[in-house]
Amino acid sequence: MEPGDSTKQARAAAQLRKGVLEYCVLALMRDRPRYGVELLHALEDSGALATSQGTVYPLLSRLRRDDLVTTTWQESASGPPRRYYALTDSGRAALDEFTRVWPGFRNAVDTFLTTPHPSPGDLA
Amino acid sequence: MKTSADPVRDYLSAVEREGSALPADRRQELLADLAEHIEVTRAERPGAAIGEILAELGDPRTIVATALAEAGNTAAGAAGDGAAGAPPRRRGKVHPLAPLLMLTLSLPFMMVFPDLPGPLFGVLFRITGAVLLCTSVHWTTVQKTTGVLLTAVLPTAVITTWNLAGGPAGTPSLVANLITLALLAGTAVWLWRARRV
Repeated sequence: MEPGDSTKQARAAAQLRKGVLEYCVLALMRDRPRYGVELLHALEDSGALATSQGTVYPLLSRLRRDDLVTTTWQESASGPPRRYYALTDSGRAALDEFTRVWPGFRNAVDTFLTTPHPSPGDLA
Repeated sequence: MKTSADPVRDYLSAVEREGSALPADRRQELLADLAEHIEVTRAERPGAAIGEILAELGDPRTIVATALAEAGNTAAGAAGDGAAGAPPRRRGKVHPLAPLLMLTLSLPFMMVFPDLPGPLFGVLFRITGAVLLCTSVHWTTVQKTTGVLLTAVLPTAVITTWNLAGGPAGTPSLVANLITLALLAGTAVWLWRARRV
């Protein structure tokens, strides 16, 4: 492997993550409200979506400003109170919309990646 | 990174320093979120070293870069609700019609009141309009420059040249004024349409 290949791979992963991260975060809140650290753990466990933890907070802040999530403080049995993030109606609508378009998107990419596309002028 | 008794405070002040370009409310919100994260993680993993928790949180510069990108993302949304974007939009919060009307109406004002102090007020209108246009948040620098050139500098230059050359009063002067007025109105309409809402 040439030097620099791993950085290029990291860049591809980062580009992909940028596009889907907010919907994965919304999806994590689908069934119940979650607090920040909890969301980060779930992202980390996924592997591919793991990101520098701190960068998720600006994203959460934007989701809040865009009225896709609301936050409430809840006391915890251990440690400080946590800020819980929950989907709003428009957050749920955005998530539904993404859920609807994603399979087509995923299949299209898979098709490009797996099917050979011979063209008449192609020597290979 | 220099070491001190309180690595958390060092970390948060690094975020604050790097985030000086962020709007104050966004910066405070980010700092509060990160402080809360550190506190919660410490409570959940009492054995973890604070250095480890901060390392997982990531480089302050990366976090601030993300925050700046997200702040740009919602610029349009923030303008809509007002409250969130209010502090950084204080400057130049004059209604976009104000500079346009002042620049356009300065000429007809001078035409209607050709005797002193009519022209004086007209010139004052024009200067105030140009200043308001330049300090407004509704236009880009290029649009502002074009606007000032077409609505203030060019007409002033034309009128001054006309007067210095001792141009004849009467119909030709009226035609010239009307052409200039059309230019002013056209530029104002263009600026009005091109404005950032």
